[in-house]
Amino acid sequence: MKKKVVSAMLCAAMTIGMLSGCGGGQDAPSDAAADSGTEADGADGADEGQADEDQGDADDGGQAEGSQDFAGEELSILVSSGWMDNRYDETIARFEETYGVTVDLQTIPADQYSKLLQSKLTTDSCADIFWIQSNPFAIESVIVDPEKYCIDFTGAAWAEKMPEARLSSCTYQDKLYGLQIWHNSPEYVMVYNKTMFDELELQVPSTYSELLAVCEKLAAENITPWFLPGADGWQHQLAFFQIGGVYEQTTPGLYEGLNNNTATFADNEKMLEVLGQFKELSDKGYFGEDWVGTDSTNIANEFGDRNCGMAMANSSIIKQIQEETGTSDEFGLFLIPLGDNDTFPTNPAGPTMFGYKGTEHPELVKAFFEFVCETQSLQEILDNSPAYTNVHMNDDAVEQHWLPEEETFMGSVDASKMGTPVLQTGTKYTNDFWGDFGADMIAYCQGTMEANDVLKNMDTNRAEAAGVVGDPAWQ
Amino acid sequence: MKKKKIYPYWFLLVPLALYILFFLLPSLLGIFYSFTDWNVRTVDKLEFVGLKNYIEIFTSDKDYISGIGHTLMFTVVSNIVKLIPALFLAVMLHEGLRGKNFYRTLLYLPSILPFVIIGIVFRSVLNYNNGLLNSVLEFLQLGFLKQKWLSDLGMVWKSIVGVDAWRGIGYVMTIFIAGLGAIPRTYYEAAQIDGANFWQRLRHITLPMLSGSIMINLVFGITYGLKVFDIIYVLTNGGPGHATEVMTTYSYQMYANGQYGMSVAFNTILLIITAVIGVLIVRTMSRKEVQQ
Repeated sequence: MKKKVVSAMLCAAMTIGMLSGCGGGQDAPSDAAADSGTEADGADGADEGQADEDQGDADDGGQAEGSQDFAGEELSILVSSGWMDNRYDETIARFEETYGVTVDLQTIPADQYSKLLQSKLTTDSCADIFWIQSNPFAIESVIVDPEKYCIDFTGAAWAEKMPEARLSSCTYQDKLYGLQIWHNSPEYVMVYNKTMFDELELQVPSTYSELLAVCEKLAAENITPWFLPGADGWQHQLAFFQIGGVYEQTTPGLYEGLNNNTATFADNEKMLEVLGQFKELSDKGYFGEDWVGTDSTNIANEFGDRNCGMAMANSSIIKQIQEETGTSDEFGLFLIPLGDNDTFPTNPAGPTMFGYKGTEHPELVKAFFEFVCETQSLQEILDNSPAYTNVHMNDDAVEQHWLPEEETFMGSVDASKMGTPVLQTGTKYTNDFWGDFGADMIAYCQGTMEANDVLKNMDTNRAEAAGVVGDPAWQ
Repeated sequence: MKKKKIYPYWFLLVPLALYILFFLLPSLLGIFYSFTDWNVRTVDKLEFVGLKNYIEIFTSDKDYISGIGHTLMFTVVSNIVKLIPALFLAVMLHEGLRGKNFYRTLLYLPSILPFVIIGIVFRSVLNYNNGLLNSVLEFLQLGFLKQKWLSDLGMVWKSIVGVDAWRGIGYVMTIFIAGLGAIPRTYYEAAQIDGANFWQRLRHITLPMLSGSIMINLVFGITYGLKVFDIIYVLTNGGPGHATEVMTTYSYQMYANGQYGMSVAFNTILLIITAVIGVLIVRTMSRKEVQQ
């Protein structure tokens, strides 16, 4: 009998211990929420935040008042590497000082970011602010349910600072969710060492056959012709997607067809031709001895040390190379000549930050968005970005640093060839499978996949994504 | 007999309830969901789709089957690569080697390192252009041995298995050492008097007496191998291309793409394979123990 009593008591103690453990977990956030005077989740919290913001807008002295409210809070930011880096450090430090808060910056390797973000969103464990590579279709296809996951910033004062083209990547069904602070330089064109080309008497290639000839001569000099960092997982596929204009030019109406599900990537002859050329360059070693295992961290030094002749990069890397390596070489830009491309694309896309609706600090998130859009912050972000020459925001007070090479390049491209968006953001669901397509391209280059299967996989993936969101064109 | 029992059966109720609630129920729910079209948009209006998700896995152009093959291959190879060296290390460190405790600690240390740290360190060490391994090989005039450790199709699995063995051997070895400690010394002394050499002692005393430890290591190793994810995710993320995709990386990708039904279907296949192999091993080893 005694044993029964003892075992019953032990059993009860275990149960109580377990329940109290569970209970403690729930108490903590409620206490925190109570302390900060906000709701941990739900629409109430968001509404309350909105009301506070309205009040703050009306009152210029709101910041000092706000700084007392937020003291001691922590703002977490989930971002892919390359999207914030050091360029936000100064602004974040000033934000911390102004509001008496700490910012927890969670930078995730680029090749792992999108999948991690999806897991965080679907398990309700996301950071207060998260980033996506946005485009006019991305909010619906990447975030899927912005009402559920994103703070609605409609009516926020900082929206006026965003150019119209970029707003399309930040809004969904007339509601403003994102903030995109990005540059407007020529993106992912060919950057080349002009001095080296002059010394070797090389002409800038405008067709694929000319590119091959240039690569051959550079390789003969023991120079990597085209530095391509495949290990990043997101760079090499730009060679295929940035030249969307040439696909549209070859097959007029292609973009519309891809968006209406009346055209496919598979069997597109121009795309197959470009993939074939890409593989040929890989097979001949023109991307370097181990481009699949090489990342982009050393790209400036590769140029500075004259180890490579060309790379696909943003124009602003020229400034970075010269400042970081001290080289006296001159650099220039030209269009990616795969598929004999002669078009330069538009691209309203870019890394974009969103406020997580489940945050415990909605007002602090809103304060951060306001803060980074101030002129001083924008100037800091630009000045701390060796890879940027400008910041594309409606703020004349910001001093831009355009390069002469950028102006020369833009002047050299026929205006009629600058109208088509890049393929990844000009067509629905394409950008969502960026990493998958990149992996397929590598598999193709390594001989384990056929070129048309790479394209077929993109069609399959897009169809699955369309099915998930119930796109009528794919029904 | 009954009086000798310290605890009554109903004392099991709480742990059993916890087990059912947190392990059995989610697994069964997962199996249920694998027959639905569960995705990020259909959370509230699930539809039964029968075997569609399974058919898709086995017939898709995306070659998911290779992921299953890679998983099984990794399970077999990683266990061989870990168990055999770990056994010899354990035997060596169980004998009167000077400083054996130091070596034991040294060998065990990698297994307490987080996978993320291992991934960052080894991605750097195995870099073709400026990694430590290739630099050392060049320094030693062994440049011809340089490899694209993580980007060459013929080398990438060897690198993953190597790093995994580096991390796991110490743990396996520790279990073997514990097993060796339980074998009476007198058996070895008698065998030595009878003139048995090292291999004969290993074959007729050590291995039979270690069957318990071997079984534990095998079950742990096989279940680890079948659900391997971390080491691949941090070293190659399934690449180059899809060369190192395994079931869990595919499942993770599907989950991240919002295809929850497909993802749990993959997990269900993994669950079935793990359960079948686990039961087979335990039965085989138990039978052997009875025979002994």
